[in-house]
Amino acid sequence: MFAYVVKRLISGVLVVTLVSMGIFLLFWFGPSSPAQPICDRETSNRCGDRIEIYEETLGYNNPVYEEYGKFVQGVFVGRTLTIASSEYECPAPCLGVSYRTKQPVKEELVSRMPATFSVAIGGAFLYLLFGVPIGVAAARRRGTVADKALVSSFLFISSIPYYLFALLTWLYLTITFEVPLFSDTGYFSIGENGPFKWFSGLFLAWVALGIFGCTQYTRFTRGAMVEALSEDYIRTAKAKGLPARKIVYKHGLRAALVPVVTIFGIDFGTLLAGTIFTERIFEIQGIGWWALEAVQGKDLPVVMATALFSAVVLIISNLLVDVVYSVLDPRVRLS
Amino acid sequence: MSAETAGPETLGSLSDEPQQDPNSQQAKEISGKSPLRIALGRLARDKIAVVCAVVVLFFVICAMFAGTISDLFGVSLETPLASERVDGLNNGLPKPEMGPPVGPFTWEHPMGVAPRTGEDNLAYWLHGCRVSLLIAFTATLIASVVGVVIGLLAGFLGGAVDKVLSFFIDMFLTIPFLLAALTLAPILNERFNTSPDYPTIQKFSLVMVLAMFGWMGTARLIRGEVLALREREFVQAARVMGMPTSRILFKELLPNLAAPIIISVSLMLPAFVALEAGLAYLGIGVTDGVSWGQTILKAATPTYFREYPQYLWQPLLGIVALVLSLNLLGDAVRDALDPKTRR
Repeated sequence: MFAYVVKRLISGVLVVTLVSMGIFLLFWFGPSSPAQPICDRETSNRCGDRIEIYEETLGYNNPVYEEYGKFVQGVFVGRTLTIASSEYECPAPCLGVSYRTKQPVKEELVSRMPATFSVAIGGAFLYLLFGVPIGVAAARRRGTVADKALVSSFLFISSIPYYLFALLTWLYLTITFEVPLFSDTGYFSIGENGPFKWFSGLFLAWVALGIFGCTQYTRFTRGAMVEALSEDYIRTAKAKGLPARKIVYKHGLRAALVPVVTIFGIDFGTLLAGTIFTERIFEIQGIGWWALEAVQGKDLPVVMATALFSAVVLIISNLLVDVVYSVLDPRVRLS
Repeated sequence: MSAETAGPETLGSLSDEPQQDPNSQQAKEISGKSPLRIALGRLARDKIAVVCAVVVLFFVICAMFAGTISDLFGVSLETPLASERVDGLNNGLPKPEMGPPVGPFTWEHPMGVAPRTGEDNLAYWLHGCRVSLLIAFTATLIASVVGVVIGLLAGFLGGAVDKVLSFFIDMFLTIPFLLAALTLAPILNERFNTSPDYPTIQKFSLVMVLAMFGWMGTARLIRGEVLALREREFVQAARVMGMPTSRILFKELLPNLAAPIIISVSLMLPAFVALEAGLAYLGIGVTDGVSWGQTILKAATPTYFREYPQYLWQPLLGIVALVLSLNLLGDAVRDALDPKTRR
């Protein structure tokens, strides 16, 4: 087990390194100079020859491996960056300085995390809250009209692209019907605006994520539950006269939840890594929104940071899922 | 000697079955059917599959003949003089004579005109359909070819090749697609945005980005199948006969992989249609305006949506109907190909 985790961590580090190299190369050998946007911004579009200064100080005239080395060094010990004539201090886990705001990227990343995490935790909570009980109910009524109607309507919802579903939710509930609770979507930190504002700003995003995502969980839970309920030990439990509730929830659901937990782990990781569509549609200033802005402003350090952040989150969550899976299901042995 | 005159002691009449000419109608009916033909037969009996296939066909026809159909209705992609068609004082909404939402329906612009620019919605819808299907089909084709080749190599060669290829499959699976597309698309586009073929290059780079992150599923599926197939007798026989590896891969193994390839195509197509529009909606896909996602982006502003919801619903219904029918058709194809559900 320990050896397995170490092995996975090493391959994870390798992947993160390759991803960071890939992004670095892309910008380096990319067609336009990464220094152009920052130069344009700082000289109010009269960049002209001054691009040379920016390219020189940002290091775009040095060989790429040298600059990549500096980047890696910055991540571990920090460094001082120079942009044109100004110097910027960038302490230990230095991911660079944003070309637009001139703030260390790491600080901004940390400040964006609460928004994305709020969306992810709330949405993922609703996945389970809606998905699992509906799936159990459908499995218990397997083959009835209600079950069939539920399964086919959920198949229908999950066939619609998510962003269209979320967009329609926002347009109808916020714009057309102006439902009071949903009137002002976005992220408002609890500290500054109080918990109610925070809750009402994110509620619609959670509902959209939750309703759309729960269809998948209903399907998985239903499938696993149908299988579990046909096992011998369920028959035994029935034979010894246990109440139906206990059979379903204690004996059946426990076995059925193992695959659901696995998928949940992966989905939750994906959500934490950045919910671009959700943030874009509901105007939540999280990591996904930030990445979108950075790409439009060609802010290399920020693009790099968001991509690395999501790769790291995904690798860790996948690893955790595998470990948790082996704990939940003793038949699985990691090697 | 004909069958009737054969005596009871001859081999020919040992069975109870009546003797018959091998070319007769009956002989043809009991002749073997290939798994693909069985699957096609089952698909044809599946009502949902037939309806979905008709819907998909409708979109394919719209896409192929987008120009001709636009001409038939007398509409075009040309940008008109905006002031002739839209009312600048009324938030840039279309003038009454341009049809809904202000005026009555008119055949001149069956789907109305866009607010602010006054471009014809029908022409943009048809060409958006073409862009959507063209990108989805090309990306699916490229991703399938790459996935099949990598899956074949990893599964068949095994050893170090398999290890390296599997590592790359896992690595690409770890990279979140949206962020990667977000990073890649503008860089690829930047290079060519002064070129006269910019829209074409943009679509090409979009196809590349989609294909780059779409091949892993196929590769995994094919690799698994090949791992099982390569131990089968016919592959061993081919090896013993000294067939070159490339011939074993493409002549012996590939025909046996038809089912998993069709399955992965059926999963990719709707996903790519949805992604193309999604990226255009985020402003990082097609940006020259002829894409359903771009129209949705323009239409999803509070003012336009309140006054002119059809403008949003036209491309939205296009995407939903296309993705939904591709998904359901894919489900039906998977069922039809699955020997376990054979009735």
